[in-house]
Amino acid sequence: MTEKNRRDFLITLGTGAGVCALGAQGVASLRSLVPNVSYDAPTTVKLGPPAEFPDGLKFLADERLFIFRDGNTFHAVSAVCTHLGCTVRAEALPRPETATVGGSPMRLTHQFSCPCHGSHYTGDGTNVSGPAPKPLAWFRLSVATDDGQLVVDLADEVDRDFRLTV
Amino acid sequence: MEQRTNSPYPRVDRPMLAVIGVLLVLSCVLFFASDRAHDWRYYQMVFQGEVAQKFGAERADAVTTGIQQIWVADLGRADRCITCHQATSWKGFEQADEPFRTHPVEPLQAHPVEKFGCTACHGGQGWAVDVLEAHGEVAHWEEPLLSETLGQAYSLTGNKGALIQMNCNICHRYDRETRGADAINLAKRLVDEKGCRACHTINNRGGRIGPDLTRVGEKAPEQYDYSRLSGQQTAFAWHVAHLKNPKALTTDSTMPNFGFNSEQAQALAMLVLSWRPADVPAAYLAGAPRTDTPTAEQIAEEERMRTGPGAWFVETGCVTCHSIQVYGVRSPAQIGPDLSNAVEDVQSRFGRTIDDFLAEPSGTMAVVLSRQIILTPEQKAVAIQKLREAFAIYQKQQAEKER
Amino acid sequence: MSLLTRVLKFRSAGKAGPAGVEPEEAPGVRPRLFWSLWPRSDRDAGDAVTSNFLLHWFPAKVSKSSMAWSYSFWLGTITAALFLLLTLSGLPLLFLYVPSVERAYQSVKDIEYVITFGRWLRAVHRVAAHAMVITVVLHLARVFFTGAYKNGIARNQQRQWNWVIGVVMLLLTLFLSFTGYLLPWDQLAFWAVTVGTNIASAIPGIGPTVRELLIGGRAIEQATLIRFYVLHIFFLPAGVGVLFAYHMWRVRKDGGLARADREEIAETPRDVAASPTKTYTLLGVARGTSPTVTARSLEAPGTSVNAVPDLMRRAMIATLGTIAVISILSVFIASPLEEPANALITPNPAKAPWYFLWLQEIVTDTTIHLGSFTINGAFIGGVVLPGLLIGLLTVWPWIDKSPRQVTGDWFPRERRTQNLVFIAVLVGILLLTYIGMELRGPYWEWFWPWEAWPTVPGRI
Repeated sequence: MTEKNRRDFLITLGTGAGVCALGAQGVASLRSLVPNVSYDAPTTVKLGPPAEFPDGLKFLADERLFIFRDGNTFHAVSAVCTHLGCTVRAEALPRPETATVGGSPMRLTHQFSCPCHGSHYTGDGTNVSGPAPKPLAWFRLSVATDDGQLVVDLADEVDRDFRLTV
Repeated sequence: MEQRTNSPYPRVDRPMLAVIGVLLVLSCVLFFASDRAHDWRYYQMVFQGEVAQKFGAERADAVTTGIQQIWVADLGRADRCITCHQATSWKGFEQADEPFRTHPVEPLQAHPVEKFGCTACHGGQGWAVDVLEAHGEVAHWEEPLLSETLGQAYSLTGNKGALIQMNCNICHRYDRETRGADAINLAKRLVDEKGCRACHTINNRGGRIGPDLTRVGEKAPEQYDYSRLSGQQTAFAWHVAHLKNPKALTTDSTMPNFGFNSEQAQALAMLVLSWRPADVPAAYLAGAPRTDTPTAEQIAEEERMRTGPGAWFVETGCVTCHSIQVYGVRSPAQIGPDLSNAVEDVQSRFGRTIDDFLAEPSGTMAVVLSRQIILTPEQKAVAIQKLREAFAIYQKQQAEKER
Repeated sequence: MSLLTRVLKFRSAGKAGPAGVEPEEAPGVRPRLFWSLWPRSDRDAGDAVTSNFLLHWFPAKVSKSSMAWSYSFWLGTITAALFLLLTLSGLPLLFLYVPSVERAYQSVKDIEYVITFGRWLRAVHRVAAHAMVITVVLHLARVFFTGAYKNGIARNQQRQWNWVIGVVMLLLTLFLSFTGYLLPWDQLAFWAVTVGTNIASAIPGIGPTVRELLIGGRAIEQATLIRFYVLHIFFLPAGVGVLFAYHMWRVRKDGGLARADREEIAETPRDVAASPTKTYTLLGVARGTSPTVTARSLEAPGTSVNAVPDLMRRAMIATLGTIAVISILSVFIASPLEEPANALITPNPAKAPWYFLWLQEIVTDTTIHLGSFTINGAFIGGVVLPGLLIGLLTVWPWIDKSPRQVTGDWFPRERRTQNLVFIAVLVGILLLTYIGMELRGPYWEWFWPWEAWPTVPGRI
């Protein structure tokens, strides 16, 4: 390689590296838009003492959750429509029905309808009509070891045979 | 075909452009490196090593990495302390050195970390992820970590970690006693014993001779006068020095010197600085007392002092230094002599009648009556009248005693 | 033959087809997707300018004297580069910063501490903003010293109006920087803006109204923050952008740098045969002469170079150099973030942004008491004096009666007096700025550099 070629090579290398570095700066500044910390609400939430829940259904707006109580058994069903995430509304059935849910009989007092695109769910969260692709999610309930409050883990979906007996 | 005109520039300009290219690469290297250089990366690496050593490689892999935070929306606090202090909720690090020590469970039961975060109690700058900034030991951060190191810097007598109790008392200010806050409890007892409320309003109750202390903890550090304070210039240091000797810092102060020792003065300074509004939602304070309820005896005594025959001396402020036993007036400081027998006492001390002395006082009283408690001639007449009455009772009491 | 040389060869060979078979086409309308950055011929070079939108504000040819580093120091280009860098670094910040009293400080803390490269981005934005104030002033000084606001030889030159646009852009730059100053919502920001906006209220009659309009109330609050924010991210940059475009357009219309006029006045026309192939001239169509001019010295080979690649390369050097320097500095210069804004506690001392400190210094020294009659220093130092200076600056091209022959000449004898006066004013302002920055301590008292300030007390 001649003197001139080496010079040319170095110049091209330097300039090219500069152009690449400029691109790297641009990408780096975009990296700043990827969040490093989460400001989301925690997924494990204390809901209050089990005794304070009424028999039947209670809607918790903060957690977008229905808590069902039948005597001393509890289960939790999500109020988030599986279609596009609107909050479904509970409508009382004129006459309660009994259905087999997760292998055991369950008294259903409500059905759910989504105000956004008219999806309908039965009282155990099964999608029956409208665009909803799958049933409403069920979440794990437990009792806090320290103060005995009902605790829901919104990150932990469970099967429909889940019941919490207090 | 037409050729391009020769130009002299490329020979110098092209290398120059190449040099700038190298500078741009350098800038990338520098800012990438400065982003990697945060302290937390080092501590997370060390912690992983510790876990691997203690519990094996499998659990070490499960250690969370990256910046962690506890976001308490109610308090507006995002505490990233657990980014480095990763062992706080791990069992098995109880005896380890910071930053990898397990947090004691007991205080967390009443103060769940997801509701309180870290800095609400410990102080420090939750936003930061480097040691100095996070511990608040930097300019423009008013809430440093209330650590043992800081306690040592103030040479606290007794428990070096006591400073954190200041933050306990922001919410627990109306407790008569708070479990685990010994220094604050000591200070609260002193407030009752020494009768601070004779002059100061504390928690909206008390006298008006001294400044209202109900929110004194939020007074800006710049608003204190440090001209006579040597050593650290902080509000805390000022209060400690002032409690030990008020006149040394504020020459025209009427506040008596109570002769507090270091421990008492430090405890009181912590208490005083904790008197600031709690910036927590009302629901947080649900269990705690909401007002400072005095005991029945305290109410009775205050009532007696304020409405009894010696009420005039209490209102005027004489009570700051003088008791008047015959009227049931008890001075918290008792610097001056009891005024029950002032009529004869003045005569024996100064060789002047009480009328003469009050008209033209000498010594300490000259200063007090010209600067702090300024009496009109009518008021002086009232004082003399009341002192004579007091002396009459005093003489009667003495006579009874002799009999 | 090494790989590299082969690549280089391929590149130069691939540029313009087989030599000699180029079809005759009108310039600028070649059906070619890309223009050449390595033109083979002068025609190629001119084509690169006319057929490229990004380069169309360049002339096809530029005189060597205008290219010189030592004439303009490329301050205008550097300023434009800083503006570009500010826009680019502002974009991510736009996504990260929250303009609300409750969240602003918190979001800046996040940018500083947890957002990847956030600290660097903020520093780039801040350092570039301060640098831009400096380069704008230096550019203005350069134009003044060289009398570049004067019209030279060509027809329809309106350089005085470009100067006026420049003065307006100076004010916009200061205001841009000032509005950005408030956004972190810390003590530094809050009190600098308190001091700054109170100067506006010293204008007799309308002052308080002006301030109220500016801050959207009587106290600096959420209304102020959102006003400053919207001004900062949209109206002021848009204003600068539009004026900048106009500024550049006028530079072309006025025949490029004043230096080029100077060149042509100084040199006597030489007999150079008019060349019909030369269709682009340095001064372009604005010259009012036909495209094939009688060649003066300027058009003679050797006095000018092609804009592509020579001018473009130098513009790249100035722009990329600016970006490189700023981004390296930003790694080392930490941006301040003091305590959250607190209307109850004034820091001691409370200082305006540094470029307003000369005014704050004057404001302090010019309160006049004549018996019961008092003139607030804010009126003299904050309104009369800067108003007078800006007014004089604006109309100076009409006051300056020096001969047009000295246009584009550094420190000519004919303009000695005004240059000296300008230097005196500039040095005065710099001196007062220095005093305000370095020699004024708590209670605005005088502290020599070797005297320590009293320590700022802390809480605990």
